[in-house]
Amino acid sequence: MLVLFETAAGYAIFKVLDESKLQQVDSLYKEFETPEKANKVLKLKHFEKFQDTTEALAAATALVEGKIGKSLKKVLKKVVAKEAHEQLAISDAKLGGVIKEKLDLSCVHSPAVAELMRCIRGQMESLITGLPPREISAMSLGLAHSLSRYKLKFSPDKVDTMIVQAISLLDDLDKELNNYIMRCREWYGWHFPELGKIITDNLAYCKTVNKIGDRTNVAGSDLSDILPEEIEAEVKLAAEISMGTEVSEQDIGNIRHLCDQVIEISDYRIQLYDYLKNRMMAIAPNLTVMVGELVGARLISHAGSLLNLAKHPASTVQILGAEKALFRALKTRKDTPKYGLIYHASLVGQTTAKNKGKISRMLAAKASLAIRYDALGEDTNAEMGVENRAKLEARLRQLEEKGIRRISGTGKAMAKADKYQHKSEVKMYDPSGDSTIPSTSKKRKFEEVEEEEEAEEPVTPVVKLKKPKKESVAEEKKKKKKKKKAKEEEEDDD
Amino acid sequence: PKYIIPDCFSGFSPRGDRGGRGGRGGRGGFGDRGRGGFRGGRGGGFKSPDGGFRGRGGGRGGPRGRGGRGAGRGGFGAGKKVLVEPHRHEGVFICRGKEDALVTKNMVVGESVYGEKRMSVEEGETKIEYRAWNPFRSKLAAAILGGIDQIHIKPGAKVMYLGAASGTTVSHVSDIVGPDGLVYAVEFSHRSGRDLLNVAKKRTNIIPIIEDARHPHKYRMLVGMVDVIFADVAQPDQTRIVALNAHNFLKNGGHFVISIKANCIDSTAAPEAVFASEVKKMSAENMKPQEQLTLEPYERDHAVVVAVASPPITYTCE
Repeated sequence: MLVLFETAAGYAIFKVLDESKLQQVDSLYKEFETPEKANKVLKLKHFEKFQDTTEALAAATALVEGKIGKSLKKVLKKVVAKEAHEQLAISDAKLGGVIKEKLDLSCVHSPAVAELMRCIRGQMESLITGLPPREISAMSLGLAHSLSRYKLKFSPDKVDTMIVQAISLLDDLDKELNNYIMRCREWYGWHFPELGKIITDNLAYCKTVNKIGDRTNVAGSDLSDILPEEIEAEVKLAAEISMGTEVSEQDIGNIRHLCDQVIEISDYRIQLYDYLKNRMMAIAPNLTVMVGELVGARLISHAGSLLNLAKHPASTVQILGAEKALFRALKTRKDTPKYGLIYHASLVGQTTAKNKGKISRMLAAKASLAIRYDALGEDTNAEMGVENRAKLEARLRQLEEKGIRRISGTGKAMAKADKYQHKSEVKMYDPSGDSTIPSTSKKRKFEEVEEEEEAEEPVTPVVKLKKPKKESVAEEKKKKKKKKKAKEEEEDDD
Repeated sequence: PKYIIPDCFSGFSPRGDRGGRGGRGGRGGFGDRGRGGFRGGRGGGFKSPDGGFRGRGGGRGGPRGRGGRGAGRGGFGAGKKVLVEPHRHEGVFICRGKEDALVTKNMVVGESVYGEKRMSVEEGETKIEYRAWNPFRSKLAAAILGGIDQIHIKPGAKVMYLGAASGTTVSHVSDIVGPDGLVYAVEFSHRSGRDLLNVAKKRTNIIPIIEDARHPHKYRMLVGMVDVIFADVAQPDQTRIVALNAHNFLKNGGHFVISIKANCIDSTAAPEAVFASEVKKMSAENMKPQEQLTLEPYERDHAVVVAVASPPITYTCE
């Protein structure tokens, strides 16, 4: 009788040397107590090692489903088919049925076989020669991990470690870039200080420096693709009258290297940002739609992983990033912060300062729903995010309109008194009431005429210096001027 | 059995009230991270621009519950000196400070698996890190603190853990058995399986198996012979499941440590009756019960039964 024994390292086919021992099931374990005894009962006929983890994984999945994998078929054909008269002992009855069907080999599964399998498993290392126990355990560990990943449909697309790393790299790049640019400016400023003040854009500065090198080359070089015309003209002018020192070719060479580095890093940064955007859209589309890629990536990075972020309640998502302020406020019993990283989302940025708190709370609530949908949901579309964002924008508009228009109707709203504002009153003497003789100046005439017309505006002898009134006075003056102009035109027409 | 209730866990209210503390618990987690021992979670690299957000209070709620968080932190403030001594069980330790706690030696230094407290102790030249073991979350810790005689899980042992969930107790078992031992963690749920996989990534002595424990032949390729089977599956037919696995993978004379949840087996019967019936079922399946222990005050209507496989193991059922 042959025995088929599956291990993580490969398939083992044993030949039973003494079949009589199998009859006494109860004392079979005694035969396997030591490696020498075990070897007397069984002999390893063939060991088919798995070539690599993919083959092992395929074999394992076939085993779980109870089917015959490719490698198993190969082994069975090679070894067992030669001794077709022998029975094959297997651990799984279902598998036995399939083998019988496909390969026409008689299989047997019984309590005796089960006990035999147990004993083999106990003496695995001694029976399967040529395979150190370390290797078997390493292979079973690797196989277990790959099998579990296969089961959990682990897809490398949805790994959020990429996001965390990418955003950290982005921050690092920014810091480095800033350092290099400052150094470049300082270094080149020794030779041509005016250039630093003329060109404010960092990348343009470096490209310019790269192109011109020594400032004597400015007149001859064409900077139209890097700078706009006026600035180029300024640069050319400044190069003539520059007060920087001369520098050698070697120094210019080194500065140029630095500029090359800066340009390279800037390009890489743009590339990295694109990559980050793509990854964010792939991993968390709903969150991206709601708060944007950068803020979404920072939230994920702050929480550690998308799943961790999903476990936070919405109020935590709202103040993620402002922990220092939060705990300080809690310790000193003050007001806690209203926003953290979420402050940089476009929805919060485009509201007035008064509504930022409200929007940040609403955005955090909907965003946390989007995060949970992304982290734990099955499909990967952004429908839900788009819907929620539309809802939020509608709410935003509502909030702003409420602020502009006082909703008419309720007497309570009307009766609400304005907050007391201390109005500083400085009374000044108005000399217009001194003389009762009607003056002849045109201006006054029209003013008096208009004052009579606009009866609702009471003319007070005392002018109160109050800011809003001043504005309204200015407005009135403007209105009067307009009316005067209109009347003048009328007169002219006449 | 002696009841040692470490006060540092008194802040963790028993299961029933866990929901109410959920929100604050999360914040407390922040606080822990704020102290020494930062983990990768915050190390993402983004430094919050606090200058922009500071002090923009305005209209938010007043002081939160400060008492709750303070109690949760317990007696272990950051940087306090503690004394760690070995427990009667090999591989388990007791940490003595203002309050006592059950700890295991951390195999992955610097990492916390489920946010538990870690403590470093100087052993001459080297620093050894220990992780606190919460008896309210882990039945094995509750059993140890309840005074169980033998857990059979010792350094170098091969353990089969049925019902591994997210890997919180599995990580402690992995600490106990050390790098020479092996833990085969079986868990059927995909959600918990993902967390288990993450835990297993860091600890190479855990072999994660995402399969139904009712069909041990499906994962026969991955498992060798084990010394102990620990079962925390909470299923009505758990004795049969354990027996199947034992038949396939437990060595002769191996041990079982089975956690029984009375509510799960039969919610109408009295807990004592349920435990007794389970013990009887176990005896029928050739498992000789050696001890039984209830998990008061950490769990309600739970019991742990330690049994030995009575040789020879022959089963007529398949």
